Amino acid sequence: MSTVTATIRHRVLPPRLTGQEIVLAGVLVVLWAALAVSTPAFLTAGSIQPLLVATAPIALAGVGMTIVIITGGIDVSVGGAIMVCSVLTAKALVGAEVSLPVAVLLSVAVGGALGLVNGVLIAYGRVHAIIITFGTANLFMFLGLRIFGSGTVNGIPGTLAFFGRGAGGRTLGVPHAFLITVLITAAAWWYLRHTAGGRHFFAIGGDAQAARLAGVRVQRRVLLTYLITGLLVGLASCFVIAQGTSTLDQSVGSGKELAVIAAVVIGGTSIMGGRGSVLGTLLGALLVQSVASGVTQLGWRSQLSDLFVGVFIIVAVGADLLRTRARRSR
Amino acid sequence: MRSRLALPIAILTTAALAVSGCTKKNDNDTSSGSTAGAKTYKVAFVPKLQGVPYFEAMNAGGKAAAAALGNVEWLYQGPTQADAAAQADIVRSYIQQKVDTLIVAPNDPDSMAPLLQQAKDAGIHVATADTDAPSSVREVFVNQATAEGIGQGLTDALLTAMGGKGKYAIVSCGQTAENLNSWIKVQQAYTKEKYPDATIVDVVYAGEDQAKATQMATDLMNAHPDLTGLVGECTSSAPGVAQAVKDAGKIGKVFTVGLGTPQAMKPYLTDKSSTAAILWDVQNLGYLTAWAGAQIAEGKQFQATNNVSDKLTGVTYDATSKMLLLGPALQITDKNVDQFNY
Repeated sequence: MSTVTATIRHRVLPPRLTGQEIVLAGVLVVLWAALAVSTPAFLTAGSIQPLLVATAPIALAGVGMTIVIITGGIDVSVGGAIMVCSVLTAKALVGAEVSLPVAVLLSVAVGGALGLVNGVLIAYGRVHAIIITFGTANLFMFLGLRIFGSGTVNGIPGTLAFFGRGAGGRTLGVPHAFLITVLITAAAWWYLRHTAGGRHFFAIGGDAQAARLAGVRVQRRVLLTYLITGLLVGLASCFVIAQGTSTLDQSVGSGKELAVIAAVVIGGTSIMGGRGSVLGTLLGALLVQSVASGVTQLGWRSQLSDLFVGVFIIVAVGADLLRTRARRSR
Repeated sequence: MRSRLALPIAILTTAALAVSGCTKKNDNDTSSGSTAGAKTYKVAFVPKLQGVPYFEAMNAGGKAAAAALGNVEWLYQGPTQADAAAQADIVRSYIQQKVDTLIVAPNDPDSMAPLLQQAKDAGIHVATADTDAPSSVREVFVNQATAEGIGQGLTDALLTAMGGKGKYAIVSCGQTAENLNSWIKVQQAYTKEKYPDATIVDVVYAGEDQAKATQMATDLMNAHPDLTGLVGECTSSAPGVAQAVKDAGKIGKVFTVGLGTPQAMKPYLTDKSSTAAILWDVQNLGYLTAWAGAQIAEGKQFQATNNVSDKLTGVTYDATSKMLLLGPALQITDKNVDQFNY
């Protein structure tokens, strides 16, 4: 451990892969291998493609959430924001029969606006993010329910099938939703690791005062993280509509903020801020969905997947705390 | 900067929380009957959750009954998510309002029982509708259909499409939902007895999450390549299993049935990814619920068969189980789906 960190000290850049990511990738490989042996259908295209599609919205919103948590914040309004974005987009698809690009733009714009509300309140209000986003989560939910207006949105056309689970949702066997998520994750990984702007997020999470003294425009950077999360949640909402049914009901988005935070934490991002990676989040989201699919395909009880996710979170947080302690004791 | 802004923001946040907390509960739908002359009975119905077409249709039926009966004020309020604790809060508020009859479709029958006792102690008539709380003090349970009616209806519709044999799986919703579990028990027993060449390979629980139900149905089809049938046990998983079959390109190879509301199931009934939806006339169920609430508030006894309205005749009452039965289950297919507007 100490020798590894000692070599890192001399580098300008942080390591390409963190220990947690290597462990996660290992766990995923072992899990997939075990599932492939015990249920032969697991490693077939018909099983992996839907799994990747189901992973996409959580992993995509997770990219934004990772950056937010790196700066020492959190966003628990993601579920409410998904609800507002998806019900508005669904209504536009049914009522105005908008095209795919218009629907995506609308959803992303709405998500961005909601993210901006969070960002402004948190960056300039200087109340802790969990309080603000807890408030806005309820506001967004209220707004979403109002737009639903005591009913479901029925007869949603297949405009968004491009992001869906069906044959129209993939090219050369690769689901579009997952491909887009991987590309955005890669871009975020590069930005966070190789640009000064990206490193500022880590600096803010490490010590906001020190970052300010070092010339980082803390408030602007913090605002940006919530705006990014909002924009990504807008796109993720299109994925959510695409993988649902032709009816949208008010349970949409419910509990998704916790699923996203779970993926981020399992991915090795420190909930205390200052450390983390979007690659880990993608792996974390993939692990959670693999467990859920595995439990169903093995014919095990459904609630076991909750148990496994709980264990993963505790192990991940525990590992993070141990790392922090090891670092401090030196 | 810090001190100038912190206070207003804190106030704003608190206000936001308070507003959002209250508004959810303010969606009271009230339609009062004639207030002149005879006493008006306040009949309150607490659904599992509000805003879904199923309970909104029940609400419409209850309102219609209130208008027709004239001496009923129909109150309708439910939680925004199928959550037992949030539902309990609403029940408590109705107890405080001292309504005449309190009717609940409990999310969790066991935790609802003591609350119903509390209501009874406060002099309120209590009843259940849609979902029973069997071990409670309720005076009547307004049942949409018997568990046998639903379970057998689902099994017969699916097995007819499957040719009377083969493997199928059930995608249910809440794991503690009393009515869903009682239907599943009937499906299991009835399949074993009437269709010996058919087996239920798995029962999974997706909560109220459509995307999760769809993904679970996909996983089930992968785990059992010889699967030819899927049942969506509630209104969110019924379209979910059909969507999964459609996405996997298995229409005509894997058949689905489910407890779905007509308008949500229509696209799937039309493209044949769903064979049939089994349901009952939900508006009539709401009508019967409001009528029963008024009956017990007035202290009237139920007859063995009751003529409730022109459309609702011969409703049977079983005195031993204290249960009003709406009637046989309804099979909704692409032929008759347009008759229902919810």
